[in-house]
Amino acid sequence: MSATSATLPARRMAGWAITALPWILLAILAALPLLVPSPNFTRLLFMTFLWTTTSIAWNLLGGFAGQVSFGFAVFYGAGAYTTALLMNAGVNPLFAFLAAGLTAALVSLIVGLPAFRLRGPYFAIATIGISEAVRVVMTNLSFTGGASGYRILEHRPFRQLEHYYTALLLAAIAFAISWKIAHSKFGLGLKAIRQDEDAAADLGVNPYTYKLAAHALAAALTGMAGGVFARYAAFIHPSGVFGFHTSVHILLMPVIGGIGTVWGPVLGGFVFGIVEEEIVASFPEIHLLLYGLLLIVIILFEPGGILGGLRKLVRRFRDHR
Amino acid sequence: MTLIDFTNLLVSALLLAGIYAVMSVGMTVIYGVMKIVNLAHAGFMMLGAYFALELFQRFRIDPIIAALLAFPVLFFLGAAVHWVLVRRLPRSDEPTLPSLLLMFGLWLVLQNLGYLIWGNTDRSIFTPRTLSVVNLGPISISTVRLAVFIAAVGCLLLLEVILHYTWFGRSVRALIQNRYAALLTGVYEDRTAGIAFGLGIGFAGLAGGLLGSLYSFDPDFGRPFLIRAFVIIVLGGLESISGVAIGALVLALVETFSILFVPAGYQLAISFGLLALALIVLPGGIASLLAKVRRVA
Repeated sequence: MSATSATLPARRMAGWAITALPWILLAILAALPLLVPSPNFTRLLFMTFLWTTTSIAWNLLGGFAGQVSFGFAVFYGAGAYTTALLMNAGVNPLFAFLAAGLTAALVSLIVGLPAFRLRGPYFAIATIGISEAVRVVMTNLSFTGGASGYRILEHRPFRQLEHYYTALLLAAIAFAISWKIAHSKFGLGLKAIRQDEDAAADLGVNPYTYKLAAHALAAALTGMAGGVFARYAAFIHPSGVFGFHTSVHILLMPVIGGIGTVWGPVLGGFVFGIVEEEIVASFPEIHLLLYGLLLIVIILFEPGGILGGLRKLVRRFRDHR
Repeated sequence: MTLIDFTNLLVSALLLAGIYAVMSVGMTVIYGVMKIVNLAHAGFMMLGAYFALELFQRFRIDPIIAALLAFPVLFFLGAAVHWVLVRRLPRSDEPTLPSLLLMFGLWLVLQNLGYLIWGNTDRSIFTPRTLSVVNLGPISISTVRLAVFIAAVGCLLLLEVILHYTWFGRSVRALIQNRYAALLTGVYEDRTAGIAFGLGIGFAGLAGGLLGSLYSFDPDFGRPFLIRAFVIIVLGGLESISGVAIGALVLALVETFSILFVPAGYQLAISFGLLALALIVLPGGIASLLAKVRRVA
């Protein structure tokens, strides 16, 4: 009796903590560059926010709806190039980012309209083909500089904090969208599609439009992240933003963190962002090898990712008490 | 375009189709038996190419023979991979997310092991045969392509014989047709799947070795061919061995004749366009179309 009365307030506390956690995290991250004024540290966090945004975005489609895509670099690159072209035409960066999201969403429709007529594996296969084809086209396209890349000329002084807060805001928006979807009818529909597409269709969920919507939303977020990156980097080239490794990174983060959850991609994004930005500098030749091994280990031993592992640990701890 | 040009293109398309079929057939066998889309196929093709290169450079073994030798080596490697990794995946009647991600991780590992061992410079296998040509009247055929084609078709015929006249082949076909019914009749799934996986990987290695004689390669070599293999098995209806042959022929014809209209750099975009078209118009592959025609007739 006393045990249940003790756990009830404890549970309510935990519920509050989970609701408050994003806000606390946001406040800490907003204050961090002011407390630790190091350009390197700020850059690391900036990149981590962008990676986290794409991770959350991938999870909307790959995690919630179970549609694995190996082609998110297409959206990242489309966003990056849209922003670059518009900014050089004199458009305000904010509008350029929004346009990047819009372009990426449009591209996602072009990809999704044929590809989602097919189920799971076909879609995944098609995305590899699309990203490959797009990279080839972008490498040969002359008005964006082709393989030699494209430079953004911004006639304003470079302020790192402005970039930092843009990326933080974007990541926060992505998280809010993911949170909202996870607790909505739309999110339930996506989860139903992941579990059994036919059953979902029988229950009145249209898998085709649901997948298209999730894809477009994920693409828009990824595209905006690409745009914010392009403005920061001021130079982009096809084998970078459209590169296959970009797609690999975007897919890895949610898998590492915990696929199909709200917090997993965030966790994965942070772990990956920090590890990637630090490791790439020291071991560029083996980092993809490590990621491959990590992927194998996670799939075979802990398909729930870091979050799944943590949950298991907590459960074990609770049972032993 | 003269008739001779046309015949030349037709012949080169046919020769290309042979190697395309070998490169895709392994994927079909693995997909059919295990419903796993083998994304690591590209990695094993790369291994096959480097295997042939090493044998050729170190021991002066003819590259075509080296490619044939890659088959048994990669067969055992594949069976080992199945035993260590693939066997642990949850069984399913359709491709699962974990299986896609596992094979993808394996591909990354193989590809980057390749970078560690061989570096990222382009390699190629160059023999006196590479530049020689057989002339049949006005039609000229590259000798190495002809040799590759003969090796490819020979291996495909061997596979057909194995699948049709051995107990292992019957088990494979039974598993492809209906897994539960196959289990009921006493097919030992684990062993059959292991051998089938080895067979699929063996064919990937063989294809890689043969392709190594035709093109230059680096550790990332398999990716464009992986996409082509997807196109082919989708055209072929995913599970049918004869479908693969038809799919390979269609892709080879489209690619070869498209050179007349679009720059070669865009060839991959054409493969993809064909994939999209096949997926939309013919989700069951060409084989289902033929079956439909046969039913009507």
